[in-house]
Amino acid sequence: MNALSFIPLLLALILSPLLFGVINRTKALFAGRRGQPLLQTYYDLWKLLRKGAVYSRTTTWIFRAGPMVGLAAAWVAATLVPLGNFPALIAFPADFLLFAGLLGLMRFFTVVAALDTGSSFEGMGASREVFFSALTEPALFVVLATLVSGADWLHGGPVLALVIIALMIVLLAENARIPVDDPNTHLELTMIHEVMVLDHSGPDFAFILYAAALKLWMLGALVLSMVLPSSGGNPWLSLALVSGGMFGLAVVIGVIESVMARLRLLVVPQLLIGAGAVATVALILTLR
Amino acid sequence: MMTDLILVLVVLTNLKLLGSSRLGASIRVVAAQGVMLGLLPVLAHVHELSLHFAALAVGTVALKGVVFPWLLFRALREAEVTREVEPYVAYITSILIGLAALAASFWLGGRLPVSTVEPSSLLVPSALFSILAGLFLIVARKRAVNQVLGFLVLENGIYTFGVGIVAETPFLVELGVLLDAFVAVFVMGIAVYHINREFDHIEVDRLDRLKG
Amino acid sequence: MKHEALLWLLILVPAATGALALLLRSVRTILGAMCAGVGISVALGWYVAGKVLMSGPVSAGAEWLYLDALSAYNLGVMLLIYGLSSAYASVYFRVELREGHLTLKQARLFASLWCGALAAMTLVFISNNLGIMWVGIEATTLLTGFLICVHVTGESLEAMWKYILICSVGVAFAFMGTLLVGASAHGLGLRAPEVLLWTRLQAHAGSLNPACLKAAFIFLLVGYGTKAGLAPMHNWLPDAHSQAPAPVSAIFSGFMLNTALYCVMRYVPIVEAGTGNTGWGLRLLTGFGLISILVAAAFILFQHDLKRLLAYHSVEHIGIITLGVGLGGLGTFAALFHTLNHSLCKTLAFFAAGRLGQMFGTHDMRKLAGVMRVAPVWGMGLFGSLLALIGVAPFALFMSELQMLKAAVDKGAILALVLFLFGAGVVFVGALGHAIPLAWGKAASTVQPARAGTLETLLVVVPLVFLLVLGLWMPGPLQTALNAAADVIRHVSPALAGSPGGIMP
Repeated sequence: MNALSFIPLLLALILSPLLFGVINRTKALFAGRRGQPLLQTYYDLWKLLRKGAVYSRTTTWIFRAGPMVGLAAAWVAATLVPLGNFPALIAFPADFLLFAGLLGLMRFFTVVAALDTGSSFEGMGASREVFFSALTEPALFVVLATLVSGADWLHGGPVLALVIIALMIVLLAENARIPVDDPNTHLELTMIHEVMVLDHSGPDFAFILYAAALKLWMLGALVLSMVLPSSGGNPWLSLALVSGGMFGLAVVIGVIESVMARLRLLVVPQLLIGAGAVATVALILTLR
Repeated sequence: MMTDLILVLVVLTNLKLLGSSRLGASIRVVAAQGVMLGLLPVLAHVHELSLHFAALAVGTVALKGVVFPWLLFRALREAEVTREVEPYVAYITSILIGLAALAASFWLGGRLPVSTVEPSSLLVPSALFSILAGLFLIVARKRAVNQVLGFLVLENGIYTFGVGIVAETPFLVELGVLLDAFVAVFVMGIAVYHINREFDHIEVDRLDRLKG
Repeated sequence: MKHEALLWLLILVPAATGALALLLRSVRTILGAMCAGVGISVALGWYVAGKVLMSGPVSAGAEWLYLDALSAYNLGVMLLIYGLSSAYASVYFRVELREGHLTLKQARLFASLWCGALAAMTLVFISNNLGIMWVGIEATTLLTGFLICVHVTGESLEAMWKYILICSVGVAFAFMGTLLVGASAHGLGLRAPEVLLWTRLQAHAGSLNPACLKAAFIFLLVGYGTKAGLAPMHNWLPDAHSQAPAPVSAIFSGFMLNTALYCVMRYVPIVEAGTGNTGWGLRLLTGFGLISILVAAAFILFQHDLKRLLAYHSVEHIGIITLGVGLGGLGTFAALFHTLNHSLCKTLAFFAAGRLGQMFGTHDMRKLAGVMRVAPVWGMGLFGSLLALIGVAPFALFMSELQMLKAAVDKGAILALVLFLFGAGVVFVGALGHAIPLAWGKAASTVQPARAGTLETLLVVVPLVFLLVLGLWMPGPLQTALNAAADVIRHVSPALAGSPGGIMP
């Protein structure tokens, strides 16, 4: 555990809200607007932390625990993800299973907190979220298995392309981005992720927002580790490449969000299974 | 490397066919697959390009990329259908079966006693996968046009197999095979037209008057 | 040289006739031209075949065209069937024309496809290149597809669609097999255009890759077997045969099934030599043959439609021929003899079924009864051919089946023997149960009998007499021809000729 291994964690903690800013800015540029300031998410987090929270009388401790467990899980997961040349803070064999498990824990507590409110809105969002994640998890696991089974395809070739495509779809699905879910919508029929966190307020909502940013950063780091070649030993070059890469990815997500519309709910499973199929093809190609 | 890319794309197109219900999209996907496979031998033997290779490639691309889709779209227009009806096997199950078939093709491809002439070890498995996918489409879909597409995918798979294991199939034989494929699709198109006129639908599972 | 030109003519004459038929103006001229074209082809073909059977193989076109004893024999039988069927077609369609069921367009379609199919089948027989042989088979599938629905009805369309799809898929598998055979010759140093030439492969058969050949033979058997009507790939057969007009059914059963089986027979010596003469391929053939016999026997029991009944008989007899080839030795001889017998007999049966169907207006056996009273000539044709089909002595089919039984005993294949006898027995009982009411049942009063003309009488009497004579006496030339053809399959040089065929002592 050398000093360099703190860098991925620090970068994640500090820079992840900036991702949302970049995405929103890109979308605004596409729409011809000037858009929010890049640091808007930080302002939002600061504002929310200073507010008071309102708790419904029907909720229990689960509702209060949800955001906290989510943030804690995201934080711990962030220690597992390496970035570019910098190793992860905690690394052991098969730690990607723990990573997937922590993401799952985060999702579970969000869903349970949503159900705890007893409102049909959140219940609807919870059921959709769980359904989609049931289709996304296999894709994620297959991608991780492909990563584990052999790294000689990382230098290029069709397998790399397939894995990146599958992982991008997983990223968009997990982070509730278009084309799976629209982060800006507040119409009851179309919300999935937004509706689950509808009743949280104040610091709870800040935790949720920050945890979402961390999750986006981590999955983005996973995609980036495949796209970017590993640079030489120079840590500053590596730092620059990595940060540039993450924000480049944020721009790409912004572009995707701007040129596509959200898919119909019935079509989303097809997309997710398609991602799983693509990942499986990649796995079969590496295993032969 | 290019051949690897083409073969992976072929595998993906097969999976897309298994999961697609829109007949127009399916026809285009099969056309794309045919074009890619037509270019395969040219790309593989790019250093020993001869006239008949090039002519064959041009012929295949023209036939599979232009003529077949045109014939099939005409049949679709006559029958006035755009989508597949509830198939025997649902789309998501089809994709899962397709993935299992892909794994089986890779396993079988390793065990088949053919020494591949091609520098790509993906060739025999992807050919086998195309054959299995084509057979699956013929069996599990109800619209006649889908069955014709399944037949075309089957032919594509066998053609891929041929490119790999026989160094050079004689030119005339290739020509004959191409001609047969063309006449087959032409005949099937006319058949679909007649079926639609007689029955007012092109669902093959409803053709069941002859039994025993 | 003369023979080479003749080989090319054998394909060109029917093709040209077919093209010509599209331009003629009246149904009668079309039928006449068709018969003339077929007649010329028959004459040419018999001449060449006779030459080959007497003096040895003939080749042309840089060895891409090749006629040896096996293909010459089959070519001769096919041309016989085609000739008879063309004569019958003119009779059959003249009746339809009289009743106003045949339009000019349908006649043109029929004639051109008929001649085209003849050209394609000839191509199969005279081509040495296994790939071109495959092209010919696929061409016959596509050309005969529309022959099934000359009269477009719901059922004929359904039959045609099933036929085209199932047979195309089957033939595609056969192409896989062809490719694998080509791949098994990899490393022999054959130049590219020669890889698929049968003569070359035959010459090098011992050094082909056996595992490849085995995989290839499985694909070939399943693929060409679909086209030949071997169970369990025979599903298209009853529909196609029952819905097609009678001349077309005669061609299907009479020769197209045998053409596909011929393709399998072409590969047998190569596979046998390549797999070290262990009889692996022959066992597969025996298995498929027995399954076909048993499946056909089961279905014959409960048929209502006359032509479907005949179609299942075809499945059974194709099974018998396959079984014969699988038994080897005398069985091969008997199988080839059976080809001739079955083709003649089945053709006659379909002729009769067609004319009787026209008279009665239906092929349903519950309504088609008492044919001996209504139409004595055709009734005798139908009943006689049904009797011959189920193997009643002294028709020739009985003789060839008996030879096959002897071959089975010689080889010690007792299980095959028992199953064959069981299947044949079931068929005997079932078919006779259908045949007797057909011949002597109570005729419906709505039927108007038609007097049979000279041509029709000839069409009935000649095959029946042939079958009767062949059952009692095997002419010398025929025996030599059969032996020569069988030797090609048995891959035996003429000096060490196999067991003699002929009448049982």
